[in-house]
Amino acid sequence: MRKLAKTIDLVAAFDSSPNPYMLLDRDLRFAGMNQAYLDITQRTREALIGHHVMEIFAPGDAPDSEEEGRRLRASFDKVLSTGQPDHLAILHYPVLIPGPDGTPVFDDRFWSCTHTPIKNEAGEVTHILQHTSDVTDLLRLRYKIGEAEPTSALDAMVGGEVFQRAVKIEANNQRLEAERKQLTDMLMNAPGFVAVLNGPDHIIQFCNDACYRLVSHRDILGQPVRDALPELSDQGHLDFLNDVFETGEPVYGRQRAFALRHAQDGPLDYRYIDFAYQPIRDDAGHIVGIFVQGHDVTDVVLAAERQKLMIDELNHRVKNTLATVQSIAMQTARTHEDPSSFAAAFQSRILALSHTHDLLTRSHWEGADLRAVLEHETKAHGLGRLTLNGPHVALSPARALSLGMVFHELATNAAKYGALACGDGRVIVDWRLADQKSPRLEITWRELGGAPIPEPERRGFGTRLIERNVRHDLHGTVQLSYPSQGFCAEISLPLEMEIA
Amino acid sequence: MTEALSGRRVLIVEDESLVAMLLETILSDMGCAVVGPESNVGDGLRVVASEIDLDAALLDVNVAGQEVFPIAEALKARGVPFVFSTGYGESGLPEHWRGNPTVQKPFTDAAIRDALMAAMNMGMV
Repeated sequence: MRKLAKTIDLVAAFDSSPNPYMLLDRDLRFAGMNQAYLDITQRTREALIGHHVMEIFAPGDAPDSEEEGRRLRASFDKVLSTGQPDHLAILHYPVLIPGPDGTPVFDDRFWSCTHTPIKNEAGEVTHILQHTSDVTDLLRLRYKIGEAEPTSALDAMVGGEVFQRAVKIEANNQRLEAERKQLTDMLMNAPGFVAVLNGPDHIIQFCNDACYRLVSHRDILGQPVRDALPELSDQGHLDFLNDVFETGEPVYGRQRAFALRHAQDGPLDYRYIDFAYQPIRDDAGHIVGIFVQGHDVTDVVLAAERQKLMIDELNHRVKNTLATVQSIAMQTARTHEDPSSFAAAFQSRILALSHTHDLLTRSHWEGADLRAVLEHETKAHGLGRLTLNGPHVALSPARALSLGMVFHELATNAAKYGALACGDGRVIVDWRLADQKSPRLEITWRELGGAPIPEPERRGFGTRLIERNVRHDLHGTVQLSYPSQGFCAEISLPLEMEIA
Repeated sequence: MTEALSGRRVLIVEDESLVAMLLETILSDMGCAVVGPESNVGDGLRVVASEIDLDAALLDVNVAGQEVFPIAEALKARGVPFVFSTGYGESGLPEHWRGNPTVQKPFTDAAIRDALMAAMNMGMV
């Protein structure tokens, strides 16, 4: 250029060009223009130099003038901020010209403009060069022909295709600009993570709000992933990104654990994320970046884990309960040869289990009160004949189930052989909590006023069940005695040890 | 054919007394001598570590909220064969223990006999 400038007078060339040109400074004030520009706008150089372009050419009076004025202004701003040329293929912009009687009137005009940045040696934009063409006649020609006759060759070539293409490009540009803004807004506010990584170092060029929240608002923009999120680099993600960039094959992940460290030396925060790393290509098909999308599915993963645990636990309990029922059936059958007495004994034992289940269900399987368990298992024998004395004791589900079976067997034995077998016998159940350090529950079941029962020669299933339940399941002790005034059972069990 | 297990000393580890009683009954019917039953992992480990003679063991996989595998390891080290009992079946076992004879709750006496004989490498008679 410099060499050329020495041989040709560029200013003279500029001034004598048939194409209208004008030059604006950074404040959008006229810094220069050529003769063609003065001719087409019907202004003098003195009237323009130093004046703001939007003041001299204020938007006209057409319905779209305000919007078109905004577009013109936006184009100037874009050139100043980006340093890139900008085109307005069609601008509907009436300008004031002297009317027939001397007063200024708006002349309806269509323009096609290119705005080119002029930069100093530091690369800063100092001026905008506008090249503008008046395309009003082309447009009018197009309209006239279009209204009257079928499309002619000229119309197709000039008024038709060329013009239409220009209109289309302009419309596209406007649409694209609007869409770009809409898309950015949408991505910014999307519920999922969206990020754009640029170049082989995966520099974070765009990152939406969800992304920022995920990384606890760390300032990651403009940094390579390796530096911005070092903990992810160690988890294979840098390899994934390099693969995508090198091969162009997208990488997808489902419910993958991301361990994020929000503060230096801080704890790791585990999130489960569905993600996609997809290549971004330029027009020539070269990979220039990576589009990152992700969705936090931590809640889904945790809920699925909880559900699996619950199903496993339910399965475990059901199978165990079936084995318990099987045991009750088998052992009840051994002591009841008569089918009808077997059925009665079996049924009442199953119902005893079921009653305690009911109690536990009411508390969502958090536990049951000792008195409630006792009342449930003995009420069939008449509540008035049992006296229950003791403090409130919360039993875990396992203890409640075991003691429920024990009380059921005690009550059944009393009804068959003991105090509840005849009219005036009674049962007194006392319990207390002993030893503050390692609490124990001590229960005494005492029968009064019944026929005296001798100690049985052979221990039946009921008695074995009581002993085994207390010793095996409750880790306690049980003493059964048969004094003449009535049967007595003394049970002592630790409350501290957790029983599953 | 139940005589095959007659006189064998079998340890039971099972936290539910009713299920333990059922196993005792089934094993007694086969002529086995029952060791235990133990209701938690600690007590089970003490028996395995002791001098008590054991020919086999029946291990509930989940005892009192704990997994029974430490006992299984100790038995393996002692060379005592064992059978797992579980509500889940063999698929509920960790990879490491799959293939070991397993009975699923609720069980039949035939299932327990077959599993014990398989564990003890005794052919079906």
